[in-house]
Amino acid sequence: MTYKDEIIKAMLLLAENKKTIFLGQSVAYPGSAIYGTCKDIPKSKKIELPLIEDMQMGMSIGLSLEGYIPISIYPRFDFLIMATNQLVNHLDKIESMSVGRYKPKVIIRTVVGSTKPLYPGEQHCSDYTDAYKCMLKNVEVVKLTKSKDIVPSYKHALERKDGKSTLLIEIADMYPNK
Amino acid sequence: MLTKEELLKFEEEIKDLFLDKKILAPVHLSGGNEDQLIKIFKDVKKQDWVFSTHRSHYHALLKGVDKEWLKSEILEKRSIHIHNKECNFFSSAIMAGVIPIAVGTALGIKRQKKKNKVWVFFGDMSAEMGIAHECMKYAGGFDLPIVFVVEDNGLSVDTPTKKVWGESGKKAKIIRYKYEREYPHQGCGIWVTF
Repeated sequence: MTYKDEIIKAMLLLAENKKTIFLGQSVAYPGSAIYGTCKDIPKSKKIELPLIEDMQMGMSIGLSLEGYIPISIYPRFDFLIMATNQLVNHLDKIESMSVGRYKPKVIIRTVVGSTKPLYPGEQHCSDYTDAYKCMLKNVEVVKLTKSKDIVPSYKHALERKDGKSTLLIEIADMYPNK
Repeated sequence: MLTKEELLKFEEEIKDLFLDKKILAPVHLSGGNEDQLIKIFKDVKKQDWVFSTHRSHYHALLKGVDKEWLKSEILEKRSIHIHNKECNFFSSAIMAGVIPIAVGTALGIKRQKKKNKVWVFFGDMSAEMGIAHECMKYAGGFDLPIVFVVEDNGLSVDTPTKKVWGESGKKAKIIRYKYEREYPHQGCGIWVTF
Protein backbone atom coordinates (compact mmCIF):
# COMPACT_ATOMS: atom_id res chain seq x y z
CA MET A 1 0.00 0.00 0.00
CA THR A 2 1.17 3.51 -0.76
CA TYR A 3 1.40 6.41 1.69
CA LYS A 4 -1.83 7.78 0.18
CA ASP A 5 -3.58 4.39 0.54
CA GLU A 6 -2.65 4.42 4.22
CA ILE A 7 -4.13 7.91 4.58
CA ILE A 8 -7.39 6.75 2.94
CA LYS A 9 -7.46 3.74 5.28
CA ALA A 10 -6.90 6.00 8.28
CA MET A 11 -9.72 8.35 7.21
CA LEU A 12 -12.11 5.42 6.89
CA LEU A 13 -11.09 4.24 10.34
CA LEU A 14 -11.87 7.68 11.75
CA ALA A 15 -15.17 7.78 9.86
CA GLU A 16 -16.34 4.60 11.60
CA ASN A 17 -16.55 6.49 14.89
CA LYS A 18 -20.00 8.02 15.46
CA LYS A 19 -18.55 11.18 16.95
CA THR A 20 -16.21 12.15 14.13
CA ILE A 21 -16.97 14.85 11.61
CA PHE A 22 -14.70 16.03 8.78
CA LEU A 23 -14.49 19.71 7.94
CA GLY A 24 -12.40 22.01 5.78
CA GLN A 25 -11.89 22.92 2.16
CA SER A 26 -12.05 20.20 -0.52
CA VAL A 27 -13.39 17.51 1.81
CA ALA A 28 -16.59 17.31 -0.24
CA TYR A 29 -15.59 19.02 -3.50
CA PRO A 30 -12.51 18.35 -5.65
CA GLY A 31 -9.64 20.81 -5.64
CA SER A 32 -6.77 19.32 -3.69
CA ALA A 33 -5.25 15.96 -2.79
CA ILE A 34 -7.43 16.01 0.33
CA TYR A 35 -10.53 15.27 -1.73
CA GLY A 36 -9.18 11.94 -2.98
CA THR A 37 -8.38 10.85 0.55
CA CYS A 38 -11.89 11.69 1.78
CA LYS A 39 -13.94 10.40 -1.14
CA ASP A 40 -15.14 7.22 0.59
CA ILE A 41 -16.26 8.98 3.76
CA PRO A 42 -20.08 9.25 3.96
CA LYS A 43 -21.34 12.64 2.75
CA SER A 44 -23.26 13.15 5.98
CA LYS A 45 -19.97 13.27 7.89
CA LYS A 46 -18.34 15.93 5.72
CA ILE A 47 -18.75 19.71 5.97
CA GLU A 48 -17.24 21.70 3.14
CA LEU A 49 -16.35 25.12 4.49
CA PRO A 50 -15.68 28.52 2.97
CA LEU A 51 -12.12 29.88 3.27
CA ILE A 52 -12.28 30.66 6.97
CA GLU A 53 -9.17 29.05 8.42
CA ASP A 54 -9.18 30.63 11.88
CA MET A 55 -12.95 30.39 12.15
CA GLN A 56 -12.69 26.72 11.13
CA MET A 57 -10.37 26.00 14.06
CA GLY A 58 -12.74 27.83 16.41
CA MET A 59 -15.71 25.95 15.00
CA SER A 60 -13.85 22.68 15.52
CA ILE A 61 -13.41 23.56 19.20
CA GLY A 62 -17.10 24.45 19.43
CA LEU A 63 -18.14 21.17 17.81
CA SER A 64 -15.99 19.30 20.32
CA LEU A 65 -17.78 21.10 23.17
CA GLU A 66 -20.97 19.55 21.79
CA GLY A 67 -19.48 16.04 21.85
CA TYR A 68 -18.04 15.71 18.35
CA ILE A 69 -14.48 14.72 17.45
CA PRO A 70 -13.77 17.06 14.54
CA ILE A 71 -11.19 16.16 11.91
CA SER A 72 -10.22 19.69 10.93
CA ILE A 73 -8.45 19.61 7.59
CA TYR A 74 -6.09 22.18 6.09
CA PRO A 75 -4.93 21.19 2.59
CA ARG A 76 -1.53 22.87 3.03
CA PHE A 77 0.57 23.77 6.05
CA ASP A 78 0.81 27.29 4.63
CA PHE A 79 -2.94 27.67 5.17
CA LEU A 80 -2.90 26.34 8.74
CA ILE A 81 -0.79 29.39 9.61
CA MET A 82 -3.98 31.45 9.38
CA ALA A 83 -5.62 29.30 12.04
CA THR A 84 -2.75 29.67 14.48
CA ASN A 85 -4.67 32.16 16.64
CA GLN A 86 -7.40 29.68 17.58
CA LEU A 87 -4.92 26.78 17.68
CA VAL A 88 -2.45 28.43 20.06
CA ASN A 89 -4.67 30.77 22.05
CA HIS A 90 -7.57 28.39 22.54
CA LEU A 91 -7.22 24.73 21.59
CA ASP A 92 -3.79 24.47 23.20
CA LYS A 93 -4.75 26.37 26.35
CA ILE A 94 -8.40 25.61 27.13
CA GLU A 95 -7.67 22.63 29.34
CA SER A 96 -5.28 24.60 31.56
CA MET A 97 -7.33 27.82 31.42
CA SER A 98 -10.41 25.92 32.55
CA VAL A 99 -8.52 23.79 35.09
CA GLY A 100 -9.50 20.67 33.17
CA ARG A 101 -13.22 21.48 33.02
CA TYR A 102 -13.14 21.58 29.21
CA LYS A 103 -10.96 19.23 27.16
CA PRO A 104 -11.74 19.79 23.50
CA LYS A 105 -10.36 16.96 21.41
CA VAL A 106 -9.71 17.96 17.81
CA ILE A 107 -7.73 16.05 15.20
CA ILE A 108 -6.01 18.49 12.87
CA ARG A 109 -4.80 17.24 9.53
CA THR A 110 -2.46 19.21 7.30
CA VAL A 111 -0.08 18.55 4.44
CA VAL A 112 3.38 19.78 3.46
CA GLY A 113 2.72 20.59 -0.20
CA SER A 114 4.40 18.58 -2.92
CA THR A 115 7.39 19.97 -4.79
CA LYS A 116 7.61 17.32 -7.53
CA PRO A 117 7.04 17.16 -10.42
CA LEU A 118 5.73 20.75 -10.17
CA TYR A 119 7.23 23.31 -7.83
CA PRO A 120 4.26 25.19 -6.32
CA GLY A 121 6.14 28.26 -5.07
CA GLU A 122 7.25 29.46 -1.65
CA GLN A 123 3.73 29.76 -0.24
CA HIS A 124 2.51 26.24 -1.03
CA CYS A 125 5.13 23.79 0.26
CA SER A 126 6.27 25.07 3.66
CA ASP A 127 6.95 22.81 6.61
CA TYR A 128 6.45 24.53 9.97
CA THR A 129 6.60 21.38 12.09
CA ASP A 130 9.38 22.62 14.36
CA ALA A 131 7.74 26.01 14.87
CA TYR A 132 4.46 24.42 15.93
CA LYS A 133 6.26 22.00 18.24
CA CYS A 134 7.74 25.05 19.95
CA MET A 135 4.43 26.91 20.22
CA LEU A 136 2.12 24.09 21.25
CA LYS A 137 2.35 22.79 24.81
CA ASN A 138 -0.69 20.49 24.93
CA VAL A 139 -1.57 19.73 21.33
CA GLU A 140 0.66 16.89 20.19
CA VAL A 141 2.45 17.44 16.89
CA VAL A 142 3.08 14.31 14.80
CA LYS A 143 4.89 14.35 11.46
CA LEU A 144 4.03 11.31 9.38
CA THR A 145 7.34 10.37 7.82
CA LYS A 146 6.62 6.64 7.32
CA SER A 147 3.63 4.95 5.68
CA LYS A 148 3.46 2.32 8.40
CA ASP A 149 2.94 5.00 11.08
CA ILE A 150 -0.10 6.63 9.44
CA VAL A 151 -2.95 4.39 10.58
CA PRO A 152 -1.59 3.86 14.13
CA SER A 153 -1.02 7.63 14.52
CA TYR A 154 -4.55 8.57 13.48
CA LYS A 155 -5.95 5.72 15.59
CA HIS A 156 -4.06 7.03 18.62
CA ALA A 157 -5.30 10.58 17.97
CA LEU A 158 -8.87 9.25 17.93
CA GLU A 159 -8.68 6.88 20.87
CA ARG A 160 -6.32 8.69 23.21
CA LYS A 161 -7.74 8.83 26.72
CA ASP A 162 -5.99 12.01 27.86
CA GLY A 163 -8.45 14.12 25.89
CA LYS A 164 -5.68 15.94 24.09
CA SER A 165 -5.77 17.17 20.51
CA THR A 166 -3.33 16.06 17.84
CA LEU A 167 -1.87 17.86 14.83
CA LEU A 168 -0.89 15.33 12.15
CA ILE A 169 1.36 16.48 9.33
CA GLU A 170 1.37 14.57 6.06
CA ILE A 171 3.98 14.91 3.32
CA ALA A 172 2.45 15.19 -0.14
CA ASP A 173 5.66 14.18 -1.92
CA MET A 174 5.34 10.79 -0.20
CA TYR A 175 1.76 10.11 -1.33
CA PRO A 176 2.80 7.82 -4.26
CA ASN A 177 5.46 6.00 -2.21
CA LYS A 178 5.16 2.62 -0.55
CA MET B 1 -32.13 35.41 38.32
CA LEU B 2 -30.05 37.97 40.17
CA THR B 3 -31.41 41.49 40.53
CA LYS B 4 -29.67 44.68 39.46
CA GLU B 5 -28.81 45.41 43.08
CA GLU B 6 -27.26 41.95 43.53
CA LEU B 7 -25.13 42.38 40.42
CA LEU B 8 -23.92 45.79 41.57
CA LYS B 9 -23.17 44.45 45.04
CA PHE B 10 -21.12 41.57 43.62
CA GLU B 11 -18.89 43.84 41.55
CA GLU B 12 -18.53 46.21 44.55
CA GLU B 13 -17.29 43.26 46.57
CA ILE B 14 -14.80 42.29 43.84
CA LYS B 15 -13.65 45.89 43.63
CA ASP B 16 -12.98 45.93 47.38
CA LEU B 17 -11.05 42.66 47.17
CA PHE B 18 -8.96 44.10 44.37
CA LEU B 19 -8.27 47.26 46.36
CA ASP B 20 -7.30 45.06 49.33
CA LYS B 21 -4.72 43.38 47.03
CA LYS B 22 -6.48 40.02 47.42
CA ILE B 23 -6.74 39.45 43.65
CA LEU B 24 -3.33 39.17 42.05
CA ALA B 25 -4.56 39.35 38.46
CA PRO B 26 -6.38 41.85 36.24
CA VAL B 27 -10.11 42.20 36.83
CA HIS B 28 -12.48 43.71 34.26
CA LEU B 29 -15.47 44.91 36.23
CA SER B 30 -18.93 45.19 34.74
CA GLY B 31 -21.19 48.15 35.37
CA GLY B 32 -23.75 50.35 33.66
CA ASN B 33 -25.33 47.54 31.64
CA GLU B 34 -27.35 45.73 34.30
CA ASP B 35 -30.79 46.59 32.87
CA GLN B 36 -29.86 45.57 29.31
CA LEU B 37 -28.37 42.25 30.43
CA ILE B 38 -31.20 41.34 32.77
CA LYS B 39 -33.62 41.86 29.88
CA ILE B 40 -31.54 39.70 27.51
CA PHE B 41 -31.02 36.92 30.04
CA LYS B 42 -34.77 36.52 30.56
CA ASP B 43 -34.65 34.60 27.25
CA VAL B 44 -31.56 32.53 28.10
CA LYS B 45 -32.50 29.00 29.13
CA LYS B 46 -30.60 26.82 31.59
CA GLN B 47 -29.49 24.39 28.90
CA ASP B 48 -28.31 27.17 26.55
CA TRP B 49 -24.62 27.95 26.08
CA VAL B 50 -23.24 31.38 26.96
CA PHE B 51 -19.90 32.53 25.54
CA SER B 52 -18.33 35.63 26.98
CA THR B 53 -15.21 37.75 27.14
CA HIS B 54 -12.64 38.96 29.67
CA ARG B 55 -15.49 40.98 31.24
CA SER B 56 -17.76 38.11 32.15
CA HIS B 57 -18.87 38.42 35.79
CA TYR B 58 -22.39 39.64 35.00
CA HIS B 59 -22.85 37.10 32.21
CA ALA B 60 -21.75 34.26 34.48
CA LEU B 61 -23.98 35.33 37.36
CA LEU B 62 -27.01 35.79 35.13
CA LYS B 63 -26.40 32.38 33.53
CA GLY B 64 -26.70 30.84 36.98
CA VAL B 65 -23.08 30.47 38.06
CA ASP B 66 -22.89 30.43 41.86
CA LYS B 67 -21.71 33.72 43.36
CA GLU B 68 -19.27 32.15 45.81
CA TRP B 69 -17.84 29.84 43.16
CA LEU B 70 -17.29 32.80 40.85
CA LYS B 71 -15.66 34.79 43.61
CA SER B 72 -13.27 31.91 44.33
CA GLU B 73 -12.36 31.71 40.63
CA ILE B 74 -11.62 35.44 40.61
CA LEU B 75 -9.45 35.06 43.71
CA GLU B 76 -7.64 32.23 41.89
CA LYS B 77 -6.66 34.76 39.19
CA ARG B 78 -9.08 33.41 36.60
CA SER B 79 -11.41 36.40 36.22
CA ILE B 80 -10.12 36.91 32.68
CA HIS B 81 -11.38 33.50 31.50
CA ILE B 82 -14.19 31.97 33.52
CA HIS B 83 -15.27 28.42 32.61
CA ASN B 84 -18.18 26.62 34.24
CA LYS B 85 -19.17 23.37 32.58
CA GLU B 86 -22.26 22.75 34.73
CA CYS B 87 -23.74 26.04 33.49
CA ASN B 88 -22.52 25.72 29.87
CA PHE B 89 -20.46 28.86 30.38
CA PHE B 90 -17.24 29.60 28.49
CA SER B 91 -15.16 32.75 28.17
CA SER B 92 -11.87 33.91 26.69
CA ALA B 93 -9.70 37.00 26.78
CA ILE B 94 -8.81 36.88 23.08
CA MET B 95 -10.75 39.56 21.19
CA ALA B 96 -13.53 37.95 19.15
CA GLY B 97 -12.00 34.61 20.12
CA VAL B 98 -15.15 32.97 21.39
CA ILE B 99 -17.29 33.89 18.38
CA PRO B 100 -16.23 31.02 16.07
CA ILE B 101 -16.25 28.60 19.01
CA ALA B 102 -19.83 29.64 19.67
CA VAL B 103 -20.71 29.11 15.99
CA GLY B 104 -19.21 25.61 16.09
CA THR B 105 -21.21 24.82 19.21
CA ALA B 106 -24.38 26.06 17.51
CA LEU B 107 -23.59 23.89 14.48
CA GLY B 108 -23.18 20.89 16.80
CA ILE B 109 -26.54 21.63 18.44
CA LYS B 110 -28.28 21.91 15.07
CA ARG B 111 -26.78 18.69 13.71
CA GLN B 112 -27.99 16.83 16.80
CA LYS B 113 -31.44 18.44 16.48
CA LYS B 114 -31.33 19.70 20.06
CA LYS B 115 -33.60 22.47 21.28
CA ASN B 116 -31.10 24.68 23.12
CA LYS B 117 -29.21 27.61 21.63
CA VAL B 118 -26.04 29.64 21.93
CA TRP B 119 -25.62 33.22 23.13
CA VAL B 120 -22.30 34.93 22.42
CA PHE B 121 -21.37 38.29 23.92
CA PHE B 122 -18.60 40.55 22.58
CA GLY B 123 -17.71 44.22 22.31
CA ASP B 124 -18.17 46.79 19.56
CA MET B 125 -14.56 46.53 18.30
CA SER B 126 -14.75 42.73 18.15
CA ALA B 127 -17.96 43.13 16.18
CA GLU B 128 -15.94 44.96 13.50
CA MET B 129 -13.32 42.23 13.19
CA GLY B 130 -13.26 40.10 10.06
CA ILE B 131 -13.88 36.87 11.92
CA ALA B 132 -17.04 38.29 13.52
CA HIS B 133 -18.41 39.10 10.07
CA GLU B 134 -17.50 35.60 8.85
CA CYS B 135 -19.26 34.05 11.82
CA MET B 136 -22.43 36.10 11.49
CA LYS B 137 -22.60 35.40 7.76
CA TYR B 138 -22.14 31.64 8.25
CA ALA B 139 -24.62 31.45 11.14
CA GLY B 140 -27.21 33.29 9.08
CA GLY B 141 -26.51 31.24 5.96
CA PHE B 142 -27.07 27.96 7.80
CA ASP B 143 -29.76 29.25 10.18
CA LEU B 144 -27.82 28.21 13.27
CA PRO B 145 -29.37 28.46 16.75
CA ILE B 146 -27.21 31.35 17.95
CA VAL B 147 -27.70 34.93 19.08
CA PHE B 148 -24.86 37.46 18.73
CA VAL B 149 -24.96 40.17 21.41
CA VAL B 150 -22.82 43.25 20.76
CA GLU B 151 -22.04 45.21 23.92
CA ASP B 152 -21.35 48.66 22.56
CA ASN B 153 -19.59 51.11 24.88
CA GLY B 154 -17.80 52.76 21.97
CA LEU B 155 -14.41 51.67 23.23
CA SER B 156 -11.87 48.91 22.68
CA VAL B 157 -9.78 49.09 25.85
CA ASP B 158 -9.53 52.91 25.57
CA THR B 159 -9.45 53.21 21.78
CA PRO B 160 -12.56 54.85 20.30
CA THR B 161 -13.95 52.24 17.91
CA LYS B 162 -15.72 54.51 15.41
CA LYS B 163 -12.91 57.04 15.20
CA VAL B 164 -10.19 54.50 14.39
CA TRP B 165 -12.32 52.87 11.69
CA GLY B 166 -12.67 56.28 10.05
CA GLU B 167 -15.61 58.60 10.08
CA SER B 168 -15.79 59.79 6.49
CA GLY B 169 -19.08 57.98 6.06
CA LYS B 170 -18.05 57.01 2.55
CA LYS B 171 -17.97 53.52 1.05
CA ALA B 172 -14.73 52.20 -0.46
CA LYS B 173 -14.73 51.89 -4.24
CA ILE B 174 -15.10 48.23 -5.22
CA ILE B 175 -15.31 46.73 -8.68
CA ARG B 176 -16.79 43.25 -8.89
CA TYR B 177 -17.34 41.47 -12.18
CA LYS B 178 -18.62 38.03 -13.03
CA TYR B 179 -17.20 35.55 -15.53
CA GLU B 180 -17.05 31.85 -16.26
CA ARG B 181 -13.58 30.36 -16.10
CA GLU B 182 -12.09 28.78 -19.17
CA TYR B 183 -9.58 26.50 -17.43
CA PRO B 184 -9.63 24.44 -14.22
CA HIS B 185 -8.27 25.92 -10.99
CA GLN B 186 -4.78 24.66 -11.87
CA GLY B 187 -3.29 23.36 -15.10
CA CYS B 188 -5.23 23.05 -18.34
CA GLY B 189 -7.49 20.07 -17.77
CA ILE B 190 -5.29 17.59 -19.63
CA TRP B 191 -3.17 15.10 -17.67
CA VAL B 192 0.55 15.64 -18.23
CA THR B 193 3.09 12.91 -17.42
CA PHE B 194 6.48 14.34 -16.45
